[in-house]
Amino acid sequence: MILSDRAAGFDRIPVSSLLACGAVHHHLVRNELRTRIGLVIESGEAREVHHHCLLVGYGADAINPYLAFEAIAHARDNGEIGPEWTDDKIVYSYRKGVANGILKVMAKMGISTLASYKGAQIFEALGLDNEVVDLCFAGTPSRIKGVGFDVLAEEAIRRHTIGYPAGEGYVGILPNPGLYHWRKTGEKHAWNPFTISEIQAAARSGDKNAYKRFAKLVNEQTSKECHLRGMLKFRKGNPIPLDQVEPASEIVKRFCTGAMSYGSISAEAHETLAIAMNRLGGKSNTGEGGEDYARFKPMSNGDSKRSAIKQVASGRFGVTSYYLTNADELQIKISQGAKPGEGGELPGKKVDKTIAATRHSTPGVGLISPPPHHDIYSIEDLSQLIFDLKNSNPSARISVKLVSEVGVGTVAAGVAKGHADNILISGHEGGTGASPLTSIKHAGLPWELGIAETHQTLVLNDLRSRVRLQTDGQLKTGRDVVIACLLGAEEFGFATAPLITLGCIMMRKCHLNTCPVGIATQDPELRKKFSGKPEHVINYLFMVAEEARELMAELGFRSIPEMVGHSEMLEFDAPADHWKAKHLDLSMVLTPATKPHEKAGTCHQISQNHGLEEVLDNELIEKAWLSLTEAKDSRFPMIIENVDRAFGTMLSHEISKRHGVEALPTDTVHIDVKGSAGQSFGAWAVHGVTLELEGDANDFVGKGLSGGRIIIYPPKNSGFAPEDNIIIGNVALYGAVHGECYFRGMAAERFCVRNSGATAVVEGVGDHGCEYMTGGIAVILGPTGRNFAAGMSGGVAFVYDPHDKLLKNCNLEMVEFEKVETEKDLKDLRDLITNHREFTGSTVAADILNDWDRALPKFRKVMPVDYKRALREMAEEEARQKAETVGLDEGDARSNVAEQATSGRM
Amino acid sequence: MGKPTGFKEFVRETPAERDASLRILDWNEFHQHMPEADLRKQGARCMDCGVPFCHTGDLMANMATGCPVNNLIPEWNDLVYRGHWREALDRLHKTNNFPEFTGRVCPAPCEGSCVLGIIEPPVTIKNIECSIIDHGFEQGWVVPQPPAHRTGKTIAVVGSGPAGLAAAAQLNKAGHTVTVFERADRIGGLLMYGIPNMKLDKGVVERRVNLLSEEGVKFVTSTEIGKDIPADKLLNEFDAVILCTGATRPRDLPIPGRQLKGIHYAMEFLHANTKSLLDNGLTNGHYISAKDKRVIVIGGGDTGTDCLGTSMRHGCRSIVNFEIVPMPPQTRAPNNPWPQWPRVFKVDYGHAEVEAKWGKDPREFSIETVEFYGDEQGNVKGLKAHQVDWSKPIPGGPPFSPVPGSERTFDCDLVLLAMGFLGPESPVASQLGVALDPRSNYKAEFEKYRTSNEKVFAAGDCRRGQSLVVWAINEGRGAARECDRWLMKSTQLP
Repeated sequence: MILSDRAAGFDRIPVSSLLACGAVHHHLVRNELRTRIGLVIESGEAREVHHHCLLVGYGADAINPYLAFEAIAHARDNGEIGPEWTDDKIVYSYRKGVANGILKVMAKMGISTLASYKGAQIFEALGLDNEVVDLCFAGTPSRIKGVGFDVLAEEAIRRHTIGYPAGEGYVGILPNPGLYHWRKTGEKHAWNPFTISEIQAAARSGDKNAYKRFAKLVNEQTSKECHLRGMLKFRKGNPIPLDQVEPASEIVKRFCTGAMSYGSISAEAHETLAIAMNRLGGKSNTGEGGEDYARFKPMSNGDSKRSAIKQVASGRFGVTSYYLTNADELQIKISQGAKPGEGGELPGKKVDKTIAATRHSTPGVGLISPPPHHDIYSIEDLSQLIFDLKNSNPSARISVKLVSEVGVGTVAAGVAKGHADNILISGHEGGTGASPLTSIKHAGLPWELGIAETHQTLVLNDLRSRVRLQTDGQLKTGRDVVIACLLGAEEFGFATAPLITLGCIMMRKCHLNTCPVGIATQDPELRKKFSGKPEHVINYLFMVAEEARELMAELGFRSIPEMVGHSEMLEFDAPADHWKAKHLDLSMVLTPATKPHEKAGTCHQISQNHGLEEVLDNELIEKAWLSLTEAKDSRFPMIIENVDRAFGTMLSHEISKRHGVEALPTDTVHIDVKGSAGQSFGAWAVHGVTLELEGDANDFVGKGLSGGRIIIYPPKNSGFAPEDNIIIGNVALYGAVHGECYFRGMAAERFCVRNSGATAVVEGVGDHGCEYMTGGIAVILGPTGRNFAAGMSGGVAFVYDPHDKLLKNCNLEMVEFEKVETEKDLKDLRDLITNHREFTGSTVAADILNDWDRALPKFRKVMPVDYKRALREMAEEEARQKAETVGLDEGDARSNVAEQATSGRM
Repeated sequence: MGKPTGFKEFVRETPAERDASLRILDWNEFHQHMPEADLRKQGARCMDCGVPFCHTGDLMANMATGCPVNNLIPEWNDLVYRGHWREALDRLHKTNNFPEFTGRVCPAPCEGSCVLGIIEPPVTIKNIECSIIDHGFEQGWVVPQPPAHRTGKTIAVVGSGPAGLAAAAQLNKAGHTVTVFERADRIGGLLMYGIPNMKLDKGVVERRVNLLSEEGVKFVTSTEIGKDIPADKLLNEFDAVILCTGATRPRDLPIPGRQLKGIHYAMEFLHANTKSLLDNGLTNGHYISAKDKRVIVIGGGDTGTDCLGTSMRHGCRSIVNFEIVPMPPQTRAPNNPWPQWPRVFKVDYGHAEVEAKWGKDPREFSIETVEFYGDEQGNVKGLKAHQVDWSKPIPGGPPFSPVPGSERTFDCDLVLLAMGFLGPESPVASQLGVALDPRSNYKAEFEKYRTSNEKVFAAGDCRRGQSLVVWAINEGRGAARECDRWLMKSTQLP
């Protein structure tokens, strides 16, 4: 069955293809006929990835976006693109682009096949009435109701009129709707020339009147145009004198800046934010790119560039023991409000030497955070990560960042039970210009919905008092803060607004490295243009707090905790004059939380019990005390059971705290462990710590390894062949940065995922080995599972492949095979195998070494293509510099070093 | 945006003007064009901002920030960079009926708010605009586009300056039958007789007026509404009336000696000059000549500059330009941040010409004229002036005070008063029953343009007070839209 809008024209207005598709699909489903027929949509409407996703998600089996094809062909005929774009090439390229886009969307939703995505309707509607949802999108959540068919019809008529003006008048050029760029007559944007210039004037001068003009613009205009909170108003409270409200200096302590990585923004911008927040007593956030260790030391003038919040995201860039130790809060980013399901994407040109060093990656190689955390596949896994991080820094509170979406309350309840100290509900409106276009427009939901649902769910389950709730997503004014608080938040995140005070003018070119004001760029010339000062952020946030105080006084609240969750002080302010917004219904947001019993808390009151007093590390710290305090050697035995998790993590934290990033000399603390280790054995183990385990280990061995050495072999008295049996669980060495590991036996799945610097020897791995690896060396002396080296952009793997099976199992999208032949490779490989034999008693290693000349040709070196190129470029650069200083013939030097680089001799 | 790094690679370049000491020998335009390759580089400097302040078109700190007609600047900058001149022209015409005027005479608030201006000299938006339209005319792309249908509605537009012409163009496009009344003998209002030929060639104005004629707009010249035709007659004969009469009442300087001969309003001087130039190349003597005279121009705005340029071409003996405000700073003052209109020292064409001839900028700042004196024949011979101090306002009086002992005398034979305009002068308002606002402008709300008489709309300087050509175009378009909405119950005019 083909649903077509081809007959659209002067006197025919097409029904939206999505409405048609959904209505037919659901009708067929209701009548149990859907599986008997195919549904093809022929539409001029579908053009963006999101349109295609929706059509597929609501049942389309095939789509013919004829107008998209014709538009590209028209551009060719007009000379906009070259004549080489034949019709066939246009169709092929457009389809490929859309397919990649859909694939990306499916990936972030955790779906692998189109069959699973089709008809799955994993969408939430915002602003659609039940009559529409029931007929066309049955089962889709639509929480705030909204427009019905009459408004949709009116909308279609208006759009039609643009194309076919009354009479046969002059159409000329269609208006620019201003979706991604502000246009005077286009879609409304909260940040426009007026709000941007007023906030900058206020922040730079500290002028309260300028701030008032800004707040008025936001609260009375752009908020109404763009945000749900614009449709809320305060009820009359019992006013109290302003001086009875807690001071602004207390309120600003509850302010945080957003997780924007050093890398996405410049060092100047990142450090200015940190200094400002440290002066305020608020918290800045590293983002997911790690942090230069030099920033942990206070500056000579008393300022500090250290970010209080250290983020732990799926990429685990730069997440070392020392990094974690220098935090007041560790934030697990499950998802980003502005682009749920996606991680950071740093294009190669923004990865310069310093950034690469901070992230423990290679300059010039783009960094894409994988959608999931590879150590989190369930709420129990998240609980495990919370526990691991708590061990890595017991004094830091653990925060979990979730996005506003339907059901986030339930997720948050699980997170609270998993012992998070803090839960952040992130709204959809933030995000830099680097976000993919599909995410900027079509992903995420307003925080108003998420924070209200979360607060209500947590109170109902008597979990609210155990956690702090935070929200973010385009908070701009004191009114925003007060509304967020009344809906359940007690801490508040700001990101775009502080950047704008520092000079950001919403270029939305963050992904191009051309930010002209030196914020979202790593270009040294453009970074010089940065003119932001910590005072700008401080001025602004203090004025926000002052505005909040004034509102609190009117409402009769003395402090933030007093105000949390009092949604009864808000009411729906129906925008009667807006033809679409007047149909909305915000009662769900304003429902007061129900207490299960009288004593149930409605804001943060008590601390989580993390159970740290029961971990074995307390004993390790005691036994290794002289190593900790005087760097003396200590060696002692321990017995471990599978309930003993994160072994060595707190010990490593104590070493980091005392000895800094260098930690201790190799093997200073050597622990001889026996038994079956629980999860996260040796997580974030630092240099100087050797964990020698006779037995086996669960998942996450060596997670975030930060220089330590882990040796695991089976019990000496066991009778099985170690190389045929699994000795360590899944996801070993996830996010490892440095250190060495020797495992006598096989590892399960996702071995070395996102390893960025550790060296490991193992006797076989399961599926997805070395996935997303960016550095380090993996030596695999046995078979690999499927999808080996997928997304691997750095480091090398040496695989012993006597039966030529690797080619079949390897994902060759980003890597290629080489022979092991350079001097450095030969030495590395032989040394590592020798170590393996020495440390674990491996017979596999011994056999290879005994017959080295015959074994060697059977090794394959798996080399990422990008990495190879980057190494070559670095080598050439070095050669140039050397040639300049030594006066050597440049050509020779370059080819010499380049050769060394490509052969891995760097 | 074709070239993300364009702003880093290319520096700002505007076309050289004709040599200042040569161009004062004739009345031809001082603008010149740039080679296309260079223009495209200038287009590449545009950063395609997420929030293009250049396109804002609103008041900040009481001055225009960004383009008042909301020109789609990033779009056409990119099209120029990529060499798609035709598309660029279509984009430009979408928001601006007369880019050939603004491209020459606009002070370019777009460039004042260009985001690149934060770190580098801004994109040469005005020059790109002018090049797009001039290229379009050269290629023959600008042709009459009469409406396919006529609505049968008739509209009278009073005044043929930029507001009147814009309103007429838009209403005609919507199919209405438009008649434009002009009291002068040529169409164009201030475009014709206010701005001298070297800044805006009158052929350029006539070319556009001819296009409008061919599209069906009727023009009636030498006819003053309220005098030659009673205003209420318009109400009876037309379905709607749009007043675009401009702010033509000049501000006077009522000080001793004002009655002396040789003291004129700038507009008298400029109008007569252009008329004589067009009628017979300044051979009939029907203009006020500055030849061999010592000229003082009082007032430092665009009109004052035009007086400088015109006097130079007459061959004045000397010239001084009085400006009551202090000399602006070379770069933005702290209270004048981007994206506000930059109140900085600028050298306009007239200043450059004086400097080229005598090696000195003609301007005197912070100076107030207190008295003219003359000879026995009642001709002005000189004036007395003193410096003023803006840091010492007089309570209840002017925002400045005289600097004691700073009085000076200046010899002069010709004084031109270019001190701005106060509002519309014609008796039309009272005849039509149109209310005035406290500043004596026709009272109508911005973006509504409806006066107290429901059939009458007002746009441009007669509603807004004296302002820029580009605001007049904005208002003319807006009044057309509102008038169309009223006549037809809905409108598709932007």
